[in-house]
Amino acid sequence: MTEPYNPKILGFLCNWCCYTAADSAGVGRYQYPPNLRVIRIMCTGRLDPSFPLEGLAGGADAIFVGGCHPGECHYQDGNYHALVSAALVHETLARLGVNRERFLIDWASAAEGPNFVKIITRFTKRAAELGPLGENEGLDPAALRQRLAEAAEFARGRKIRTGLLNAAKEMMKGGDFKRDTIASLVHAKCDKTLAELVGGGAGRGEG
Amino acid sequence: MASTKQPPPVGGVPSGAVLVLGGGVAGVQSSLDLTELGFKVYLVEKSGAIGGVMARLDKTFPTNDCSLCILAPKLVEAGRDPNIHILTKSELVSLTGEPGNFTAVVRKEPRFIDEEACTGCGQCTLYCLKQIGDDYNEHLATSKAAHIDYSQAVPTSYYIDAKACLRLNYETCGLCAVACQAGAIRFDQKEEEVELRVGAVVLAPGFGRVGEEVLRHYGWGKYEDVLTAFEHERLMCASGPTGGEIVRPSDEKHPKKIAFLQCIGSRDETCGNNYCSSVCCMYAIKQASLAREHDAQAEITLFYMDVRTHGKGFDAARERAIAEGNFRVVYGRPAKVEDVFDGRLLLTWADDAGRHNYEKFDLVVLSQGLESPPDAEQLSRACRIDLNPYQFAATDTYTPLATSRPGVFVIGAFQGPKDIPDSVTQAGGVAGLCSGLLARGRASETVRAEFPAERDIAGEEPRVGVFVCHCGINIGGVVDVRAVRDYAKTLPNVVYATDNLYSCSQDTQQHLVEIIDKHRLNRVVVAACTPRTHEPLFQATLRDAGLNRSLFEMANIRDQCSWVHMHEPAAATDKAKDAVRMAVAKARHLTALAEQQLPVTPSALVVGGGLAGLTAALSIAEQGYETTLVERERSLGGRVQLLTADRHGHDPREELKELVTRVEKHPRITVCAESKVAGVSGYVGNFTTTIDRAGQESLVVNHGVTVLATGGNAYVPGQYLYGTSPRVMTQLELEHRLGAPRPLAKGIRQVVMIQCVGSRGEDLAYCSRVCCGQALKNALRLKRMDPELAITVLYRDMRAYGFLEDDYRAARELGVIFSRYRPGEPPQVTQGRGKSSPVTVTYFDPLLDESVAVAADLLVLSVGIVPEDPKELARMLKVPVTADNFFLEAHVKLRPVDLPVDGVYVCGLAHAPKGMDETIAQAQAAAGRACQPLARGSITPEPIVSHVDPEKCIGCGACETFCPYKAIAIYKENKGRKAKTISASCKGCGVCAARCPTMAIDMGRFTLEGIRAQIYAFGEG
Repeated sequence: MTEPYNPKILGFLCNWCCYTAADSAGVGRYQYPPNLRVIRIMCTGRLDPSFPLEGLAGGADAIFVGGCHPGECHYQDGNYHALVSAALVHETLARLGVNRERFLIDWASAAEGPNFVKIITRFTKRAAELGPLGENEGLDPAALRQRLAEAAEFARGRKIRTGLLNAAKEMMKGGDFKRDTIASLVHAKCDKTLAELVGGGAGRGEG
Repeated sequence: MASTKQPPPVGGVPSGAVLVLGGGVAGVQSSLDLTELGFKVYLVEKSGAIGGVMARLDKTFPTNDCSLCILAPKLVEAGRDPNIHILTKSELVSLTGEPGNFTAVVRKEPRFIDEEACTGCGQCTLYCLKQIGDDYNEHLATSKAAHIDYSQAVPTSYYIDAKACLRLNYETCGLCAVACQAGAIRFDQKEEEVELRVGAVVLAPGFGRVGEEVLRHYGWGKYEDVLTAFEHERLMCASGPTGGEIVRPSDEKHPKKIAFLQCIGSRDETCGNNYCSSVCCMYAIKQASLAREHDAQAEITLFYMDVRTHGKGFDAARERAIAEGNFRVVYGRPAKVEDVFDGRLLLTWADDAGRHNYEKFDLVVLSQGLESPPDAEQLSRACRIDLNPYQFAATDTYTPLATSRPGVFVIGAFQGPKDIPDSVTQAGGVAGLCSGLLARGRASETVRAEFPAERDIAGEEPRVGVFVCHCGINIGGVVDVRAVRDYAKTLPNVVYATDNLYSCSQDTQQHLVEIIDKHRLNRVVVAACTPRTHEPLFQATLRDAGLNRSLFEMANIRDQCSWVHMHEPAAATDKAKDAVRMAVAKARHLTALAEQQLPVTPSALVVGGGLAGLTAALSIAEQGYETTLVERERSLGGRVQLLTADRHGHDPREELKELVTRVEKHPRITVCAESKVAGVSGYVGNFTTTIDRAGQESLVVNHGVTVLATGGNAYVPGQYLYGTSPRVMTQLELEHRLGAPRPLAKGIRQVVMIQCVGSRGEDLAYCSRVCCGQALKNALRLKRMDPELAITVLYRDMRAYGFLEDDYRAARELGVIFSRYRPGEPPQVTQGRGKSSPVTVTYFDPLLDESVAVAADLLVLSVGIVPEDPKELARMLKVPVTADNFFLEAHVKLRPVDLPVDGVYVCGLAHAPKGMDETIAQAQAAAGRACQPLARGSITPEPIVSHVDPEKCIGCGACETFCPYKAIAIYKENKGRKAKTISASCKGCGVCAARCPTMAIDMGRFTLEGIRAQIYAFGEG
């Protein structure tokens, strides 16, 4: 029997919900796998689309973003903006041939320590099944990380970000904050630029 | 109510100082709350240090939070506060004068070591020849005559036990004076009497212990392996006599079979304590859980009379602990403990069916009850206050924090046995009451805290100091803290790294200041618990050391590491190293940030006009602030209008009427009846709320703070033929009848009451706390009306906590029959012959060991409490709610009325089910806490705001579009348009930074470079 792979997971947790949930999981002594490393941000709205890509480029096998439940953002709609950034990450991963399950954005309220534990336990298990970044995808890890680093740089570039902000504007205007709606908006606004910069197969990020 | 019955100070401006007697958690919290409200505090403590019993606890129920870790920041804060004068080894001798103008005489015993000169080095203890029992460790260890109670004690000064000291008693020795480099030893110190002028007095002397004769009855003192819970607590503690190992005193072996005996000295007429001590059921569960942590194999049995875990979330915590810890719970009360030949302890008990059981145990822990403090009578004489028959301070249901003497208040266990959250709540409440009483004296005797000038570090290379905390065994028991410390030393720019047993203690803070200075640190990383609770403490220490508070970063290696990977020490240690590396990486990019002060709108909004909301509104108004009270119904009063008597027979509606009148007539209160909160924006200090009013235009109110008192309703049962048979009613409906002129129809001979209808089950997962008391009250009312009436109460656990136990006893003495039913076997109720015939109640009687059927002329259901749906308000205010739909407080132990969003507070049934006296105290607490930002007049938010680089900004306006706070705006410049942050409005969410197309916007502390550095550092692991 082979030992299951021990994935490296980087998490971005918002201060008000998911980070608090993680603390309360500790207070309740709920146990979960020790693979997650946490960067605290005040709101998932702070999540720059480049952060998850940079995390994968830098050595993570999987990235988790944890915020407040939709409609419960401490800053009103930061988690919807996080979904915009997340959609771009998924689009990019698809183009690079990386399994979309390596990036997860999910919610746990401050009162939901056990829920946080459930999410992380499940995600860690899935990341272990996927194995080292690139392996499951049949890609050369070093080359992939290099491409991810470039993609992160593109995500900091004006072209993609303009697409994102336009997608975000439409999201706010439309008032529909469902994941696939947001993903469609991001796809519509960024796909051309992504194809140009990142290349790869035109993959829709969501689904 | 409480506040109303305190006459205002006579003539002149009242004193702006308050005497707080007792330095336990209640006294310390009320002191801190009082100084925040603008009053000077004399904190008078009998022993050598503040901290009280909580400082001796290892953990606290239900979260098993490290007790000292959550208390220490408060002790440090009290020790640092220039407006709190701590007098140790002191007691109150007399109190003369009137509210607003008392003269207190305090006798201060000498410490024989100069508090100012003592550096806390401990040389005196080292050289002291005289051993004494270590009181802090329950005499399970020894200490010296020259000593400090515990290493994190505040004040951090040693003192000499006058009774033991060789020099003071026999004129010999005096070695400490030779050893003390600071020259702090003062054998010539004399007892002194200090006269203090204060406006009010808060009594928080804590509790006494059940006497040794009671303990001896259970073999304590006779058999070594019978321990009190206090002794057991010290054995569990990392800083205890065994370093946290639970061993049998007789053979120092790990006990394999442990028994916890409840109600030792409580609910026991033979020792004069009929009352329930209200905390032991919880602490026994906690201790059992920790014993389990220490030994996965030990057999652990808890002997209960009733399991009284009625606090918020307590039942769930108990059930989980019992399931996870695999504890055996026995309903029984072993009468005594016997020693048997093989060195084990024999317990004998009768079970519910009356059968006798025998079993041997390795260790017996006595859950020792609480008594009134030993100096209760002396205090009563000194302050001229009344005591109740159990020697606790006498108080009234409607003025729970007021003693019989105006201007003298009581909080904590001296008011009645209670736990930490209730004590802390009362502390907040009494601060609010004092603040109302002495409103005109506010800020007359206080000074502002001064910090040294900030060092300019702009040109310096980062010099990072890393402090890794053991947190007793909370971190150190899992993570190899020294390895993490050594690892930290290898990280770039780290010039200093060390480990501390408790990083949050006062001596560590002083140490931190010294280290920062000595090593010229300009960034500080503490690897310990969570920044959510402890960052402010360390940031204050940075300011003490002349560093900007933004130069601080925490690595969470407890809540998110050692506590959640308890069985994987190696992996947890790796994770802790990674967390430290990432924190250091971020710290290297931290810069000093300018502080800003924002004004506060000095008014409050209270949502809900029931007992809680009315009390809170009145207290805030009496403290001098405008208050808007929003009530959905046409009239004020809420659910108390449905009660017709309290447990003493008074009609609460009378008190309520008086309260409503006072609120309606108060010049500073605006009542909006038939109204509803439609929208809220803003934040602490600057809320704007839209109130929809029936038949009127909506009202827009600006206010600085918000109190939620939205209340609850009775659960509407669908079971037990409720609504089908006229014979079935709820306790509230019975109350209503009992208030009517002819309460009972003729021919009613048998009444049955069923407890926990809706509660503690599938409908409401929690205990509704008040139903047992209400059933007892109504049973007594019925019995007093008609002594021949047969009453049977079917219950799961009679939760007659505190002095309610008297009612339980009285009911039994009057012949009320109590029969326990199991959760899986609830009573069955079937319809009688006709629609209005008596109903048949069938239940299993454990004593008879068979099913019994009773024809009930009246079946009364003790239904639970359902909170008003909190979701809409929760969404508007961004505050969390629990799975049970109660608002979730910021910290269940130490911030029981604060919600996690600054400036929002909760009280009453919206927080959790509770009785009237508890509601009033909590509402007063919410009012006291809510007035803190108002009294301060300004807030200093964390400077994590956005800033725009005008070079990169292209003026697209995306940030302005997306900012939820209108905190960033486009302005015209000669060349074009640029964005600019309005710092006062920015809350630091960072959406603007994430959406800026040219990355022209960055956030304070959460900078792009800082986060990228964390990401890179993550990858280096």
